Amino acid sequence: MAPTNKSTRRTLIGSGVLLLAGLASASVQADDAKQIIRDRCLACHTESGDASAPNFSRISEQRKTPEGWLFTINRMINLRGLQISDDEKREVVRYLADTQGLAPSEAAPFRYLLEQDTNLVEEGVDQALAETCARCHSAARFGLQRRTTEEWQLLVNFHMGQFPTTEFHSLARDRKWYEIAHDEVAVQLGEQYPLLTPAWDNWKQAVKSDLDGRWRVTGFVPGKGEYDAWMTTSKADGGRYNLSLEGQYADGSPLSGSGKATVYTGYEWRASITIDGVKMRQVMAADAKGMSMNGRMFLASEREIGGVMSALKDTKAPAVVAVMPSYLRKGESTALTIIGQNLDGDIDLGPGVKVEKVLERSDDRIHLMARATGDEGTQSVQVGAAELASGLAVYGELARVEVTPQNAVARIGGMSKMPKVRVAYRAVGYSAGADGKPGTEDDLRLGYMPAEWSIKPADEMAAEEKDAEFAGTIDAAGIFTPGDDGPNPKRKMMANNVGRLAVVASVKDAGEAVEGDGSLLVSVPDFVRRVLD
Amino acid sequence: MKHLKSLNKKAQLINQAVSPEEVEDVVAMQTVVGCTATTDPGWELDPFGGLGSLCQPMESDLYGCADACWWPAQVPDTMHTYPDWGKDVAKANEDWRKLDGIFEDGE
Ligand code: HEC
Ligand code: HEC
Repeated sequence: MAPTNKSTRRTLIGSGVLLLAGLASASVQADDAKQIIRDRCLACHTESGDASAPNFSRISEQRKTPEGWLFTINRMINLRGLQISDDEKREVVRYLADTQGLAPSEAAPFRYLLEQDTNLVEEGVDQALAETCARCHSAARFGLQRRTTEEWQLLVNFHMGQFPTTEFHSLARDRKWYEIAHDEVAVQLGEQYPLLTPAWDNWKQAVKSDLDGRWRVTGFVPGKGEYDAWMTTSKADGGRYNLSLEGQYADGSPLSGSGKATVYTGYEWRASITIDGVKMRQVMAADAKGMSMNGRMFLASEREIGGVMSALKDTKAPAVVAVMPSYLRKGESTALTIIGQNLDGDIDLGPGVKVEKVLERSDDRIHLMARATGDEGTQSVQVGAAELASGLAVYGELARVEVTPQNAVARIGGMSKMPKVRVAYRAVGYSAGADGKPGTEDDLRLGYMPAEWSIKPADEMAAEEKDAEFAGTIDAAGIFTPGDDGPNPKRKMMANNVGRLAVVASVKDAGEAVEGDGSLLVSVPDFVRRVLD
Repeated sequence: MKHLKSLNKKAQLINQAVSPEEVEDVVAMQTVVGCTATTDPGWELDPFGGLGSLCQPMESDLYGCADACWWPAQVPDTMHTYPDWGKDVAKANEDWRKLDGIFEDGE
C-alpha cells in the first residue's frame, strides 16, 4: 500500500455582509452548560477560580473540536461511569467546543478526520510522533487537540494505564517508551500544539457570522453522481438551524431533503439531513465571514460513503460556482452546465472557446453547447459580472487517470454483527500539459470523469491467493463492496475474504481507453469505531 | 517502503522471519487512517505490507490478540477497557457471527 498524494480540496471564496450572532441566548446556554458540568462532572473533577470564569480540573486545560469533546465525554461514560443525559451531553459539548475549541486555521490541516474522509495515508507526520503516537490511530486525532504540556503528559499516563501493552510493541519494547513519550514527545506536543495560541485568541475575539440564508450548493453523492442544489437554512430553537436542500443530480433526477444543524465554535457546521429517505450528515467549515462553507456529506449509517460538498451564500450578487463537467475536449461540441446564482449577462468561456448554442437558461443554471479551438489550459468562466477562475479545463488528449482514493481500506462484514465497510471511488483525468509527459508537475487537471471500474489482484502474491475472487466486487458507480466475514472454507487455511487489490478506472477519451489504479486493502473488521479514529 | 515489494510467500511470524532491525524499518510503515501500524503481529497488515503473516482467519486467535490489548484502537481491549466483549462468543472461530463492534458516532 504505497502512500501517494492526499485528497485535494476545493475552496470557494465569498464576500459579503457580516452578521452578529445571538449573543444573549449564547450566554444563557453557557451558564446552563457550566451548571451541567458542576452537576455531572465534579463528582470526580474539581472546580477552582472565579465562579464566572471557573477552572475545571483536566477539562479547562485542553481545547478540541466538537467531535473531540464528544469522544472524551463518551469515554467518561464508558470507562468512568459518568451519568449524563443526551441533551446535557449535547449542551456540554457545545459549550466546550465554543469556549475551548480550535481556531479554523488550527483545524484546517486535519479536516479529513472531522469529515470522516479517512481513506488516505497521513503525510508529513513528524517521526517521533509517528512512532510513538500515530501507530494505533491517526495523527489527526491528536493534531486536532491543544493542551498544556502537563495535559499532554497526563494523556500519556492515561494510555500507559489503560493500554499497558503499548510498551511491548515494536518501536516501544526496544526503548524506554514511557520516558520518551512522557518526557520528550509530550513536551514536543506541548510546543507544537499548545493550549494558548494567537490563532485561538483572535478567533475567540472575532465576530461570528450567522449561517442562515440561502446557499448555492454543489457536491457529489456516491452512486448518484454530482448534484447542484439550493440549501435554505434558518435559525431554530436552542441555537440550532433548520435546513432544507432541493436540487438535482447531473442526470436530471431530483434531490430533496430536510434536517437540522448545529454550528460549533462559530464555524463548524454539523447537520443531520434526510435526503430522499436516506439519512446523511454534513460536516463543513464556514469561512470567517460566513459566506461559504466547504466539507463533506456522507451516509449517517456508513461514514465512508460520501462526497465533497460546497455552499456559497446568496447575497444577491452574481456568482458562478461550478461548471459540470469541468473539462472540454478540443474540437468537440460538448454539453456543459454552468451552475451559479443571480446569473445575468453574456457568457464567456475564455479565449478560443465558442458557445455554440444556449439550450436552457435560468438565473442559477445555464445549459449550453460549447466547442474549443484554442490552446490547452484552464479558462475562467464568466457570466456577466460573475467569474469563476479556472472553471473550465480545455484539453487535447486525456493522458492520465488518477483513482481517488489512492489508498483505501474496505472491511469484510455482513454475516456477523459487523457491517461491511465499502469504498466509494472516483476517477480524475489529466492531460499531459506543455511538456507532453503525463505524471509531471505541469499535468493539467481536468476533473472527475465517468469511468468503467474493475478490480485485479495487487500483485503476484495476491493473484496466487485469488484475492480478486474472494475479497469483493466493484459496481458501475465505482462503489466497492467487500466480501462476507467469517472464515472461508474455500480458502487456504480457512482464511477470511481479505485481500490486496488494485482498483482500476478505465476512462474513454475519443474512443481510446486510459487507465489508472488505486491501492485497496480489504481487511478484517474494525471492532472499535470512535467518533474520530 | 522497499519491503512492500519483498513479499515472502513462506513468511513466518515476524519474530522468526526478520531481524529486529528490519522490523523497526518496516513497522514505521504508514497505513490508511483507521488501520494500526503496529504490525508485530498486525491486525490489517503484516510487517511486509501484506497479509501473509497475519492471524488468518482472524477468528482463530482473536482472544489471544484481544486479551493482550495489542490493537486497542481496532479490537476491544478485554484487559481493561471492555472486559465483557466477546463474553457470549466462547470460541470466536465457531461463534464469530455473534461478534459485535463498539460503535460510537457523532450526532
Ligand atoms: C466518575 C468519575 C468521572 C466523572 C463523573 C467525569 N470524569 Fe472526566 N475523568 C475521570 C478520570 C478518572 C479521568 C482521567 C483518565 C482519563 O483520561 O480517562 C478523567 C479525565 C477527563 C479529561 C481529560 C481527558 C484527556 O484526554 O486527557 C477530560 C477532558 C474530562 N475527564 C472531562 C469530563 C467531563 C466534561 C465530565 C462531565 C461531563 C467528566 N469528565 C466526568 C473521571 C470522571
Ligand atoms: C497502543 C496504541 C496507542 C498508542 C501507541 C497511542 N494511542 Fe492514543 N489512543 C489509543 C486508544 C485505544 C484510544 C481511545 C481511548 C478511548 O477508549 O477513549 C486513544 C485515544 C487518544 C486520544 C483521545 C483522548 C481524548 O479523550 O481526547 C488522543 C488525543 C490520543 N490518543 C493521543 C495519543 C498520543 C499523543 C499518543 C502518543 C504519546 C498516543 N495517543 C499513542 C491508542 C493508542
